[in-house]
Amino acid sequence: MLTLRTRLNLITFCAISAMGWCGFTAAVSGQEYLDLQKQVDESVDLRSNAVWLGGAPYDSTTLKRMQTRRAAIVDETRQAQFSDVLQAYSSRDDKMLRQRIANFMQHEYDISKKATIQVRKARETFLLFACMTAIVPLFGMFIVLLTVNSTVFHGIDRLSRRMMDFLADRYSFQFSQPDANELGDLQRTFNSLAQQVINTMDELKQLDQAKSEFLSIASHELRTPMTSIKGSLSLLGNGIMGKIDDAPLQLIKIAETETDRLIRLINDLLDLAKIEARKLPLASKWCLWDDTLKSTTTGLVGFAHNAGVNIAFDPSPGIEAFIDSDRVQQVLTNLISNAIKFSPRGSTVHVYTGQTKNGHLLINVRDQGPGIAPADQELIFQKFRQGATAENPIVKGTGLGLAIAKALVEEHGGDIGVESEMGKGSAFWFTLPKWRLADGQAVSA
Amino acid sequence: MKILLAEDDHHVAVIMKLCLEKIGQHEVVHAEDGELAVQKAQSQAFDLIILDGMMPKKNGLIVAQEIRGSGQTTPIIFLTAKSDEPAYQTLGTGYIAKPFEPTLICARIEEILASAKGA
Repeated sequence: MLTLRTRLNLITFCAISAMGWCGFTAAVSGQEYLDLQKQVDESVDLRSNAVWLGGAPYDSTTLKRMQTRRAAIVDETRQAQFSDVLQAYSSRDDKMLRQRIANFMQHEYDISKKATIQVRKARETFLLFACMTAIVPLFGMFIVLLTVNSTVFHGIDRLSRRMMDFLADRYSFQFSQPDANELGDLQRTFNSLAQQVINTMDELKQLDQAKSEFLSIASHELRTPMTSIKGSLSLLGNGIMGKIDDAPLQLIKIAETETDRLIRLINDLLDLAKIEARKLPLASKWCLWDDTLKSTTTGLVGFAHNAGVNIAFDPSPGIEAFIDSDRVQQVLTNLISNAIKFSPRGSTVHVYTGQTKNGHLLINVRDQGPGIAPADQELIFQKFRQGATAENPIVKGTGLGLAIAKALVEEHGGDIGVESEMGKGSAFWFTLPKWRLADGQAVSA
Repeated sequence: MKILLAEDDHHVAVIMKLCLEKIGQHEVVHAEDGELAVQKAQSQAFDLIILDGMMPKKNGLIVAQEIRGSGQTTPIIFLTAKSDEPAYQTLGTGYIAKPFEPTLICARIEEILASAKGA
């Protein structure tokens, strides 16, 4: 199969050649027509002169004029014939003159008759080829247009449809046999591009699979030894295996505290890895918002009591949120325990629920701590980033709590952030887009 | 209570046994893998069965399925490092996540059994 470029060039070349040939033929036949017409005109002129000679008395001036006319005749036979007529005229022999004129007229008549037919033929040829000179390029253009339409535009349409198919459903994409032309080349390029994308996607899928397996194994292999260590230390430290002196007991308590910290870190890391790998499906359902808040604060009562901090929350009866309650409790626990950690003794951590401008549920956790410097306010939501540490850290953080909270809130379709001024405390907030009043009417989508 | 403890990790098993015997004053029978757990569960009567999630030969879920398949209604508590497995909730009476706080384990067991009775 010819390439599109060759096809179009060939058609254009043929059309131009045909036009050139028609034009040339028209020019030749036009010239022929003019020549023949001149011959016919001359014949008419000479015949009228001969008739006039037959009817006029001899006159030397007339003879001279006719001789000049004869000299202008190109055709030799005709010139000889006309000479015969002039000779008879100058001899003043009427009979001979009539005879010669009759011969001349007969000869001219024959020539003229033939020429007239030729003239008509030449004229027809001229007109035919002149018309064709005009029509052939139009026809050529028509063919080019037809070819461009059927191959180029049709091919582009087909290719763009295939691209849309690929975009819509890249895994079941079927490659078609490309044509042997420029559009085929384009499709071949697109096919290899698509194949590359498909290969990359497959690789990513395999990587994802490997990541899941890793998480599952890591989870088990890290937690099992931690169970033994924590168990042993706890049984020793709590005197269940017999009384232990104060000095070794202190060491056991240190080991226990650090084991707890390591366990928190492992749990946080695995949680974050799962969220990032999207292996933590949310079990969302409609929950009474106050229940979620109450279970969280109840769980933190002991912690708050040790820190000498009160937790206060404004009840918001009748509000239901479409959430994975355990996961949102994890977010709340994170924010409230952070607030407790940074609060001075005797102060209160306030939790209150409101609405954003676009109608999402807005939860605020406000403390009376030292506040967070503007430069740290973005950083603290990143992994392993902590702002200024608490003056009296009750429980050391892992630096992952806010990163997990952010990931969980975003999984719920919400936002998270902080407003704070140095010396004036901090207010951590997050939003939940899906909530309603308990009568069942959805307040927001 | 007479408790069957199926746990393949020797160290975890020792600690669990200590907790249950020393703190809870329970009688503990230990099985090292899933197959032994099924055999012991079918040959003796227990008040409670504690199953590790991941064990050689038969994992905790399969053991629970076989015990339930033989018509026993003994409460089953899973001991697991992967608490987000939904089957632990449906097949067992409850679960204890690893790593657990050993001094609280008996209280946690009581809590699970009490809420199962209440439901």
